Amino acid sequence: MRIRMFLIIALFFLVLVLTPFLGPTVISPFAVDATSREILFSIRAPRVVVAALMGMALGASGAVLQGILRNPLADPYILGISSGASLCAVLGILGGLTFLGEFTVPVLAFIGAIVTGSIVGIMGWKRGGLWPERLLLAGVGLSFLFSALLMLIMSVSSDEGMRKAILWIFGDLSMSEWARIPYGLAFVLAGIILSGTKAKALNALILGDEFAHSLGFTPHRERFILFVAVGLLTAASVSLGGMIGFIGLLVPHIIRFFMGSDGRVLIPASALVGGALLCVADLISRSVLPPMELPAGIITALIGSPYFLYLLRRKNVLGV
Amino acid sequence: MANEMEKIFLFLMLIVTCSFSSSAHAGETPQRIISLAPNMTEILFALGLGNRIVGVTSFCDYPAEAKRKPKVGGMSNPSLEAVISLKPDLVVMTIDGNPREFEERLRSLGIKTYVFRASRLRELPKGIRDLGKALGVQEEAETFAREFEAAVKRVGAGEGMTGSHTLSARKRVLFIVWPEPLIAAGPGTVIDDALALIGFDNIASDSRVAYPKYSIEEIIRRAPDVIIIGRGMERQDIEKISAGLLKRLHSVPAVRNKRVFYVSDDLYRLGPRTIRGIDEISRLVGQ
Repeated sequence: MRIRMFLIIALFFLVLVLTPFLGPTVISPFAVDATSREILFSIRAPRVVVAALMGMALGASGAVLQGILRNPLADPYILGISSGASLCAVLGILGGLTFLGEFTVPVLAFIGAIVTGSIVGIMGWKRGGLWPERLLLAGVGLSFLFSALLMLIMSVSSDEGMRKAILWIFGDLSMSEWARIPYGLAFVLAGIILSGTKAKALNALILGDEFAHSLGFTPHRERFILFVAVGLLTAASVSLGGMIGFIGLLVPHIIRFFMGSDGRVLIPASALVGGALLCVADLISRSVLPPMELPAGIITALIGSPYFLYLLRRKNVLGV
Repeated sequence: MANEMEKIFLFLMLIVTCSFSSSAHAGETPQRIISLAPNMTEILFALGLGNRIVGVTSFCDYPAEAKRKPKVGGMSNPSLEAVISLKPDLVVMTIDGNPREFEERLRSLGIKTYVFRASRLRELPKGIRDLGKALGVQEEAETFAREFEAAVKRVGAGEGMTGSHTLSARKRVLFIVWPEPLIAAGPGTVIDDALALIGFDNIASDSRVAYPKYSIEEIIRRAPDVIIIGRGMERQDIEKISAGLLKRLHSVPAVRNKRVFYVSDDLYRLGPRTIRGIDEISRLVGQ
């Protein structure tokens, strides 16, 4: 287990260091001219960092959510948080809002995510605590409502506006810049540390509330703290670069195949592999059809899903 | 076997194309016209047929009178019911903006259609003349087409005189349709045609799609001399929306030398305002 964890950490940092040098044109670290230096430091490096942060947030929050909802199909998007964020962001994009300059859309997305997360939390609250089934159903219901509103807005907007909105929803990392990273980093680290400290409680919650209680945990309290962590992680990731599919749902499963479902390993490993995967996906999305770029979310699903299906055939999923 | 299939396919294509182009009948002057594209609405008004238009799309905003016409929906999703209830004797569509199935559906319901096939700058005069013939306004169409041809020649000649036709001296230009996410005008667009006519090199003309999501690092690498940003059709504060992008492009010659220009939406539609859009760019950039 130690060796595997070490390998994952090494892989993560290797990807983080290597990917800035790759792209539509490969930059040799030994021959960097002024243009290459600028591309490297002000375009690619912030992009790689944002991709890593988003991937980490999605991987970790997926691992936590599948635990607290006791549902293998849960992912950060199932709670409607991302739909709420997208709705706010798209309203901002189509309405041409600029009250916070270039931060307008990310801030709108963050507000949308936090508000939606709170609504889901309120709907999932009953008799002094959050109930997994209620949370899940409230999230799914809200998610449908927001998606419908999003579709409504997009179908009455011009074709031009629709394209802008679609590109944002599918994940746009190309506008990543250093200025946004401190905020993203703060929220992602807070979310991962918060869920990491509750990893033991998560292990207990998966086995049922009675069991968790008998181990000395207060299920409702632990679930609430973990839910807040997931909300922060999802909000940070959507506001950094839109919606990226696959990572939150399937990376935790892939980690479980190899490293088991102990939260103390699962949460950091899902975060690191999620981060590395999104960096690689973004590298592919900016390199395959220059000077065009593809949305990174499409690439994560394209490379991730076949691998997941392969593992599904090879290994026992969920111990079945 | 493959060869057979190919023949059958070509034959089918032929039938489809033939039936598609024979859909409009020449001669008769339609009285109740529906336009399913903003540029067609502008062209019809320019040909003096404005008072015969009984329906337009919700994006038809020019000239001002067009906004007051009954709406039949969007370009890609017009409402069949709305079209039929307006009892048109001709529905004017474009080859690249409207769904072909909609045209087939209208014809199967006995409604006459005219499909405008010009989508590039050089195709416009012929497109206008054909339209004029089909709608019984040959003279107006001829005047329109001649003026357009003359204007194109004038712009093309101006380019020759300044000597910018030599490849090394050609200005490298990027036309940004939307700053965030960054969408540029690529090959096959009227904008690309216009830039070439003025004598510019569009740095996005090697993209694979008409409106690519353009790579920022490629802009830095290709170092355009001029950046043109379209204000778009919606009334938005494009300068503010572009600020973030331009900050990131601070080292690009266009931004460094303050050669960033904002232009109207005249060039977005192939029609009577296209020439004005071309003039606007050559005037702004040429100064």
